[in-house]
Amino acid sequence: MKTRIMAAAILAVVLAAAASTASGGTSSAKATKIVVWLQNDAQSGWPEAVALANRLFKAQHPDVDVDVQYQTWGAHLQKFDAALAGGDAPDVIELGNSEMTKYMAAGAFKQLTQSAFPNNKTWLSGLKASSMYNGKLYGVPYYAGCRAVIYRKDQYRGAGIKGTPANLAQFVAAGKKLMKKYGKDQGYSALYFPGKYWYAGMGFVYDYGGQIAVRKNGKWKGTLNSPRALRGLTVLKATVHSLSRANKTGDEANPQQSLVFSKGKVGSFIGNGWEWPYALDDKLGNPGLAPVMGAYPMPSHIKGRSMPTFIGGSDLGVPVTTKNTSLAADWIKAFTGTAAESEIAKSGNIANTTKLLAYNASNPKLAPFAKAAKSGWFVPTSPNWTNVENANVLQNMLVKIFTGRASVKAAATSASAQITRILNTGA
Amino acid sequence: MAAVAESDLPVASRRRRPFTRQRVGRAIAPYALMAPALLVLGVVLAYPLYKLVQMSFQKYGLSELIRHKGTWVGTANYSQILHDGEFWHVVLRTVLFTVAAVGLTMVLGTAIALLLLQVSKWMQIALTTGLVLVWSVPVIVAVDIWRWMIDYEFGVANWTLTKLHLGDFSRYDWFANPWTGFGVLTALVVWGAIPFVSITVYAGLAQVPKELLEAAAIDGARPWNTFREVTMPLLKPIFVILASLSIIWDFQVFQQLWIFLDGRPSPDYYTMAIYAFQKSFVIGEYGLGAAIAVVMVLLMFGATLVYLRQMLRTGEVH
Repeated sequence: MKTRIMAAAILAVVLAAAASTASGGTSSAKATKIVVWLQNDAQSGWPEAVALANRLFKAQHPDVDVDVQYQTWGAHLQKFDAALAGGDAPDVIELGNSEMTKYMAAGAFKQLTQSAFPNNKTWLSGLKASSMYNGKLYGVPYYAGCRAVIYRKDQYRGAGIKGTPANLAQFVAAGKKLMKKYGKDQGYSALYFPGKYWYAGMGFVYDYGGQIAVRKNGKWKGTLNSPRALRGLTVLKATVHSLSRANKTGDEANPQQSLVFSKGKVGSFIGNGWEWPYALDDKLGNPGLAPVMGAYPMPSHIKGRSMPTFIGGSDLGVPVTTKNTSLAADWIKAFTGTAAESEIAKSGNIANTTKLLAYNASNPKLAPFAKAAKSGWFVPTSPNWTNVENANVLQNMLVKIFTGRASVKAAATSASAQITRILNTGA
Repeated sequence: MAAVAESDLPVASRRRRPFTRQRVGRAIAPYALMAPALLVLGVVLAYPLYKLVQMSFQKYGLSELIRHKGTWVGTANYSQILHDGEFWHVVLRTVLFTVAAVGLTMVLGTAIALLLLQVSKWMQIALTTGLVLVWSVPVIVAVDIWRWMIDYEFGVANWTLTKLHLGDFSRYDWFANPWTGFGVLTALVVWGAIPFVSITVYAGLAQVPKELLEAAAIDGARPWNTFREVTMPLLKPIFVILASLSIIWDFQVFQQLWIFLDGRPSPDYYTMAIYAFQKSFVIGEYGLGAAIAVVMVLLMFGATLVYLRQMLRTGEVH
């Protein structure tokens, strides 16, 4: 059946492609609608920013409607591929910063003029870099995010932990105290850490001086089996083993870890800025936790430093298939202007411009994340990196390590070999 | 069917009717009636299959997708997968899964059909209703129900096993080990396939002449022997059809696994369908994925050919 479905899907794609070439070039008529694909984080996290952008855009183009369609991280690239093949991709699309290179390299985006966009001189350098390919701009920085430890102040006090840990050893010691005090309940985790949570897991690798891959003489090489990376992974395994009872084959989004936290049986988790307010959601979370929640940067094994955090984020691009380039650019301008970006920052993110960083630093709910962002790591910048993510190489390695199906060294060595192959050949 | 055709043929050839317009109309009519179906098959099956085969000889990645044009690479995709150790693992895993799932489906399905014959009318109605309900549950709903049942933290399966003192199953993760994981997936697939087999076999059993069974009983045959020597041979065509359909379904099982594993199965759970999907729609190597799909079609065609031949032969014997 599957082959038939696949074949049918391919047929649909082919037919749609034929239809689009047939109608191509004739549509100089004025557009009445633009389609925007955003990730569903915006829907739950900062709907005000989207509404504001739509109002600004509508004021400028009263005859054009904006159709914002929310996508999920798990399926959006497959949908985007299908839409590109069918010639009916959206006019604006959000991609994760680690996903951009593959699509820029394949020619999926229109080139953009940097000077046309607001705050373009003060864009976060990391995000701007992820929007550039061969020195040309194909995306507009949207927002960044990084992770810190979100914790229960009352439980920390209850377990006799004073202040927040200054290094990783203290963090583990504090977690053990929590387990001793509350861990009789088999559902309790001092640190909720699902097995596939690679964004947090790789922080340990970078903290011990390891890397996922390095580039030498134009060739990529997976380096998770280097002595430093192995040390990070070994410490990670021990930490998770003693502090977490989360599902070793689960991930951080199913169920949403901040919602698990809100149910009360979690002392801390490593979460994004927006996950703090999400835990307090009055329908899904528990607003009662507001007075007892706090956050601090995940400490490094070196005292006084924080563990490098993944600088995640998103950019907005204009797919080559669109016929409404200038309308698309206008909507992006509205959505990435100072007003909308302030709303995005308020929801727990880091805005796309350094102009708004002071805003984060002055807000106690955002400051720990802004502080954590000072020490960051990013995925290897190869057009093939997305394939490493899509093949779940790192998740599978972590699952093998945590479930004990392979030793740290064996799991890391096989993952490294896979990463080397994918980064260099794409498959 | 075959019996009817054979008895008709000699009669038709003996009568020599003149070549009339009516006869031409009659000759064309079957083809005209078949034409719409053939057209639909051509559009939804033959053409996509042609494109699939064509794509399997091309490099077709993301940039080709955007340009709507692949690059001819000959048999490179095929040699790549045939030399890929992982591919053969996947084939073996798929075959093992199919054998286990089809075997269990057939045995349990037949057992339930035999049970249906023995129980009271009310029990019969209750059982049949249960079977039809299982059959009518959409896959997505079924998977969700099963996921909750074997949930690692709140699942009723772990709770029951622990309460029965079969060991400590609290927070037992069925998917940490691929064997137990596949056990769950096989159970789900078999559970969903049993109703069709049971009801069909039950319908077949109702056709077995009572006299034959009585004669066997009088001759002193035990139930198992009666089943083996009388019922089985009579129902062979039904078993062959059910088995080959089950093989086709289970060999390309996709939805259950894909949904159960959140669309991110680890390589331990790759079956051929998932492997092909992974390569084409996830990694974006559509040519490679197409080649895997073609190999899969060929393998399945080979497996079902044996059964089809056997089926035709059984038809001839009767």
